Amino acid sequence: MRALGIDIGSLSTKAIILDGNHIVASSIIATDEETELSAKAAVDEVLKQAGISLDDGVFIVSTGVGGKNVSLSQQSKSLTTCLARGVHRLFPSVRMSIDLGAESSTVIKVSDRGRLNDWVNQDKCAAGTGIFLQQMAKLMQMPLDEMAGLSLEAKGRADITSTCAVFAESEVISHVHREPPTPKEDIVAGIYYSVVSRVISLCKRIGIEGDVAVTGGVGLNKGLVKILEDELGLSVLVPEQPQLVAALGAAVVAQESIDKGVNG
Amino acid sequence: MTVPETERSKISAIMRACRVINRMNQANPDAPKSEGLYYKMLSDYYTRLLNAHDEGKFIAAHTVFFPSEILYAMDIVPMHTEMTTWMIALFLGGQAEILSAGAELGLVPEICSPHRGLAGAFSLGALPRPDAMLWSNLICDNTAKSGELIMEMKKCPGFFLDHPFQRSETEDKYLISELEDMIGFLEGKSGRKMDWDKLSDIVAKMDRQIELFREIGELRKAVPSPFPNRGFLQLLTVDYLCPGQQDAIDYLEALRDELAEMVREKKGAVSPERFRLMTLFVPPMYLIGFMEKIGREHGAISVVEPLFTRWAEGRLDPSRPLESVAKKAAMIPERRSMYGPLGQEALQDLIDCAEQYRVDGAVYWAFMGCRHTCATVKLFKDLLNEVDVPMLTIDCDIVDPTINSEDEIREKLEQFFELLEDR
Amino acid sequence: MVIDIKKSTSLPLKTLERFRQVNDTFPRTEQILEHKRQGNKVFGWLCTYVPEEIIHAAGILPVRVTGYSQEMELEDGNAYMYINNCSYSRSCLQMGLRGEYEFLDGMVAGSTCDGARRLLDLWQHYIKTPFHHILTIPRKYTEKAHALYYQQVVQFEESLEEFIGQQITDEQLHQSIDVYNRSRDLLKQLYELRKSDAPPVSGAETMEVLNASFRMPKELFNQWLEQLLDELGKSSVAHEGRARLMVVGSVMNNPEFIRSIEALGGLVVTDELCTSTRYWSDPVVLEEGQDPVGAISKRYLNNFPCARMVPSDERFNRILNLIKDFKVNGVISQIIRYCVPYAHDLPLLIDRLKGVGVPVLALDVEYGTSGSGQIQTRVQAFLEMLEARKR
Repeated sequence: MRALGIDIGSLSTKAIILDGNHIVASSIIATDEETELSAKAAVDEVLKQAGISLDDGVFIVSTGVGGKNVSLSQQSKSLTTCLARGVHRLFPSVRMSIDLGAESSTVIKVSDRGRLNDWVNQDKCAAGTGIFLQQMAKLMQMPLDEMAGLSLEAKGRADITSTCAVFAESEVISHVHREPPTPKEDIVAGIYYSVVSRVISLCKRIGIEGDVAVTGGVGLNKGLVKILEDELGLSVLVPEQPQLVAALGAAVVAQESIDKGVNG
Repeated sequence: MTVPETERSKISAIMRACRVINRMNQANPDAPKSEGLYYKMLSDYYTRLLNAHDEGKFIAAHTVFFPSEILYAMDIVPMHTEMTTWMIALFLGGQAEILSAGAELGLVPEICSPHRGLAGAFSLGALPRPDAMLWSNLICDNTAKSGELIMEMKKCPGFFLDHPFQRSETEDKYLISELEDMIGFLEGKSGRKMDWDKLSDIVAKMDRQIELFREIGELRKAVPSPFPNRGFLQLLTVDYLCPGQQDAIDYLEALRDELAEMVREKKGAVSPERFRLMTLFVPPMYLIGFMEKIGREHGAISVVEPLFTRWAEGRLDPSRPLESVAKKAAMIPERRSMYGPLGQEALQDLIDCAEQYRVDGAVYWAFMGCRHTCATVKLFKDLLNEVDVPMLTIDCDIVDPTINSEDEIREKLEQFFELLEDR
Repeated sequence: MVIDIKKSTSLPLKTLERFRQVNDTFPRTEQILEHKRQGNKVFGWLCTYVPEEIIHAAGILPVRVTGYSQEMELEDGNAYMYINNCSYSRSCLQMGLRGEYEFLDGMVAGSTCDGARRLLDLWQHYIKTPFHHILTIPRKYTEKAHALYYQQVVQFEESLEEFIGQQITDEQLHQSIDVYNRSRDLLKQLYELRKSDAPPVSGAETMEVLNASFRMPKELFNQWLEQLLDELGKSSVAHEGRARLMVVGSVMNNPEFIRSIEALGGLVVTDELCTSTRYWSDPVVLEEGQDPVGAISKRYLNNFPCARMVPSDERFNRILNLIKDFKVNGVISQIIRYCVPYAHDLPLLIDRLKGVGVPVLALDVEYGTSGSGQIQTRVQAFLEMLEARKR
């Protein structure tokens, strides 16, 4: 019996197959409008990589925005539980983990047994990080990954004061068009700082506790992560593939269910 | 003087709702006796209000946590303003109308919605015209500031009852002198005299009520816990609307007996009982049915509400009625944690509750209009963390359903249940 | 010489510089630090119902706890006090949690409003200033209320005596009353200057002076203010504006807010704030042979009322008097979001002002706002409306 975890996010769907402690295969595909199709595609891809089929015995746990109504899966678990499991599997010393997802940020507290102790989501009416950064990249007229490292070169930091995405947009535009224009690196640093400030607020609400990890696609953004570390005053642990952590966690849950079934 | 139709409409509608529920209960053989007594108590309360002016009686509108026992002893008909506003929200779904009327009066959205609502309800004529407006500073600034607008709007006299902030001999004396002044004011305006024997009797009954609250509190400690989620609002209603009244005692005794039997038979309000919850502050009024449903679905039961159902120590002495009324004001559950300096006693009580009630998790209903309770969210969370009780915080509004949807609340609660199960 | 208000703000009043220095370095002002270096104690206080003279008589420097004169990042304040408490209390808590008030030996508050009392609760729990005290403040002015407040002040005095290990003598109290009354009188003189058609001092400058008054020993402040009044007496500066305005409402002590109104030509000639007229208007009246604590407690409870007091007309009447005395054309109400007592008062206040034909601009603000952007747009429209009325 293999453990398979799927995380159906708003931008991408991820799947992982575990064999004990070992990640056998993983896949990331863009989420389709039909979450069922995305789930199936991700599962097919990861099964192919592992060289097995559903008939070989696979226990599937689904999570994420689209995780609840997936006919493929035997069990669904909340994103926060899966993040806790996934982070704990990768970094057992982590007690607080920040998930910078497409639509919202979540901060979780993880116990020493990988159990979810507490969580807090981004407040209502604030832009989620991934999609917000995509919009900003468009405004700055550069691809996301180019924007990612740019803030590391900044000498200063533009003041982007709005917590609301709509007003932040107009502030960025004014920085781009002013005479003389604010250096791009500084604007990007300002954008990242405003995102990080909101995240820090969440962390403070829940109570900052180290070690700290960062998950979710935005975790690959070295510029943003550096600013986060500066503001937290702590270094953060970022997995090699931060977008896969929830899927990994779902697979861990699947493994636990398999173990329970085998023993009892 | 008859009450005009517009004024009758909301109150009669509340009464009609009570009668309908009562008929349903009577038709249902499994319905507990206490339910029938509760809805009778409620509809009798509103009947008295509706008929008051026809019967030549004096109506005194009053804010929450108010010693309306004084009014009962003077044969003055009390009208609880916040509670009636909640009832309008609960039974009639009439929040939108009264809240927007409140906004039109110039009351900003940050003002607590029951208070915006009661002002709006008065301006719409949804509540009977009061002959006097009574209000106090228990428990917050919103309450302390409600009275004058109503006085001007309804062109009626008013009295502000000033509760001192702390307890000491001087402060207790001050409260008693305030109560005396209020009685003088009411005697002057209503032409009714205080019946001290009646007040003594009411005090004796209030003492009995509080003892019953404590007994019910003890019974709820049982595993499984016998009292349903919707029940807690009923407990509040008793003290808010009918302190020291016989029908309230009848209800509490019937309830106590029913709970005692359930405990004897090891029956819980939800079966199987999977999550024993501490409720901090109060879930949105309009979600009572939803909470009942989700409780049954997940086996989740609220076993204790420290801010609302835990009475402080003390007995009332009928031979000293006014002192007892003052003493009771200091004993009400809300006082310990929501008024007065937040001392060690209130904080320790929170921990004691968690342990005595074998609580798995706590849910804090962070009502955005209630500043001083939200200021304790982190403090309580930190305290409960020390005894390993996780706490979920849900931002909400007590009467306004546009702040948070049922789906969002369901999602949060289910995630929390998952967290609790996982431990 | 008549000077356009827009240009006049750049003309420095020499003696004002010292006040500015104090405000710029707050909370670690040179005066506060010096006081501590000499082995003396400093107490923070919230709200005008805390009897400062008692603290002063104990040889302790009373410093008003405020935020900075700007909107602050309030992450810690939000986490501990939640976002629905007023930004004033969150700002104070923010500073406290960040250790910016760590020099305080004591913290004193009154049970004035929910924000203030919760601030003290959380301060006690998380910041642990060595001495803290809360006074019960009645909401009424009756004889019995005065008796209760008097007892509270006596109790406070006793707590203080225990803390400093010394009695507070009547002589010390007399002295403190004199110093504070002198302050009040000097501030009154400053305000008198603003009654003129073209005052020599602006509303923003007045707020700078007031701010400094909360942050330094009153004796020194009095000296400086005397010198400032002297300079003003010789000044030929005359501020003119498009309309005579009054700022009322929640706790506000940011001169930039007033400056932004005055930059548009609105002459702020007076105000009704707990950081201004409500702070200094009423002196302690000490009769021959009267107990000084009694005189102090009487003054503080009867003080120019905060919106928390009942009946509200006491506050409204005093506002109307100020409008008359200062020939005010228009009122700007600035109420902090979640500042409940003032929010409830607003509809009634607007009604009273309508009754005397004075228009109101009602602004929702956050504590520390400097009044930029949207606020200026609305003030501009208000001024235009007031000018049209004149015609």
